[in-house]
Amino acid sequence: MSIRFEKVNHIYSENTPFAYQALQDINLSIAQGKITAVIGATGSGKSTLVQHLNGLLLPSSGSIIVNDVTIKAKEKLSDVKHLRSQVGLVFQFAEYQLFEETLVKDVAFGPKNFSVSELEAEKMAKEALKTCGISEDDFEKSPLELSGGQKRRVAIAGIIAMNPSILVLDEPTAGLDPQGAKSMMELFVKINKTKNVTVIIVTHNMEHVLSYCDDVVVLENGKIIMQCNKEEFFKQKEYMERAAIDPPVVITFKNLCQQRGVNFSSDVLDVKMLADKIAKRCVNE
Amino acid sequence: MNNVTLGKYLPLDSFVHKLDPRIKICIMVVLMVAVFLPCGFWGHAIVGGFLLIALLASKISVKYVYKSFKPIIFTMLFLLVINVLVIRTGDVLIDFGFISIYTDAVIQTLYIAIRLLLMIVVTTLLTATTKPLDLTLGIEDLLTPFEKLGMRTHDLAMMISLALRFIPSLLEEAQRILKAQASRGVDIENGNFKEKISAILSLIVPLFVSCFQRADDLADAMEARGYIVGGKRVRYKQLHLNWKDVITLCASLVLLVFLIVVGPKLNAL
Repeated sequence: MSIRFEKVNHIYSENTPFAYQALQDINLSIAQGKITAVIGATGSGKSTLVQHLNGLLLPSSGSIIVNDVTIKAKEKLSDVKHLRSQVGLVFQFAEYQLFEETLVKDVAFGPKNFSVSELEAEKMAKEALKTCGISEDDFEKSPLELSGGQKRRVAIAGIIAMNPSILVLDEPTAGLDPQGAKSMMELFVKINKTKNVTVIIVTHNMEHVLSYCDDVVVLENGKIIMQCNKEEFFKQKEYMERAAIDPPVVITFKNLCQQRGVNFSSDVLDVKMLADKIAKRCVNE
Repeated sequence: MNNVTLGKYLPLDSFVHKLDPRIKICIMVVLMVAVFLPCGFWGHAIVGGFLLIALLASKISVKYVYKSFKPIIFTMLFLLVINVLVIRTGDVLIDFGFISIYTDAVIQTLYIAIRLLLMIVVTTLLTATTKPLDLTLGIEDLLTPFEKLGMRTHDLAMMISLALRFIPSLLEEAQRILKAQASRGVDIENGNFKEKISAILSLIVPLFVSCFQRADDLADAMEARGYIVGGKRVRYKQLHLNWKDVITLCASLVLLVFLIVVGPKLNAL
């Protein structure tokens, strides 16, 4: 059970004046059961990369292995549905995909497409809605009555209801308020921990990467320039400076301390641990 | 949806691209008339030759035109079947006993196919070499005389350019929603009738919702920048004619006049 990219290239509108190479020689393996962040500037190929995972885009050359399915270049998949039931992909601004009359019906749409019976699909839908923090009073409401953040949750519930073993999210917190974004990220951690789902998140938020993710994949101009765990990633000061990424406050604080001759161990990654270490040092002195 | 070639602008740098949009629209009208003159295969060959030169001058590949013609091949086959059933003049080409194919039926179909092909080349030449916004500017300018009759050409042009502006956006949006629903297991190509209906609904409802939202936002954004319906507007981009435009227009007019004069004789050949 794993995801592996082998020499994947993707060219949009190949053989036309509009041809554009979005991915270049991607070799990548993503660990099962972990939360992996995909980061990179706008236009670096993040969205293109994740759309290969469930066969929405096919590679121009190379191959991708997802669990027991192999996606080859320019070869139509024989069982797309099987792949898509395993890889749940949530798009940017997913709230625009809602269309049914009620939330339950909309969320049950996914499972029903994968030949789950009506009754069973409804049960799965209600469960997924609950997991995503929608109150039961709202289950029979129209999606149009909800706020933007709630709509996003319903759309995500629509994917979770399919019980995928891999959950891919393309900027799931874009446009949400900080509180909403935080609870959204906590939801993904919960799904990852309780159901052992592999989670892949495309994000620009470094605080989220630090607090919630395990591994980091960095894309630049369609190429992978780094693939490591987050501890390793936040040590790459040169890259951060070059890409104009503001590191999370904890990292910035540690870096500033280091410049002044005070070092903290590399496993200190959140404010609480940092405060503990500082307090301990103060007491010792 | 990426395969739609008809009516798409191709960003190249060529003689035809640089022509004035007003002139190009006029030439298109002239050539359309020429295509529909009854002047036989030879007459069409002359028009075809003219268009081939124009195609070469525009740097558009012949393959591209063929791609736009492909969807129409089916229509042509359909037409052939009808013609075979209806037209019963000329010599018998093949006799199946219960039905026989006459030469006139085949010739008639071929004739229409050639006209359609020429029409497609003419329109492709216009739309592939002219940016949609330039096209609207051209239409607006050409409609100016009708302003005296109470036609609001500015508003009309604005409507056309907005509609054109949003075609790619809506296509993109549709594609995005299609992908999102495909991720939820929608399969538009396969499945029974009921599944197909629900698949189409899952595409159309979100598309409509976002369309109305976009329209609202756009109206607000336009008003915020002082747009008033029917208000007086000046234009940033001015169109200027030069001698190349005039010569090209003259060449096409000469072709038309020539065909009108010689056409009947060619038709009789």
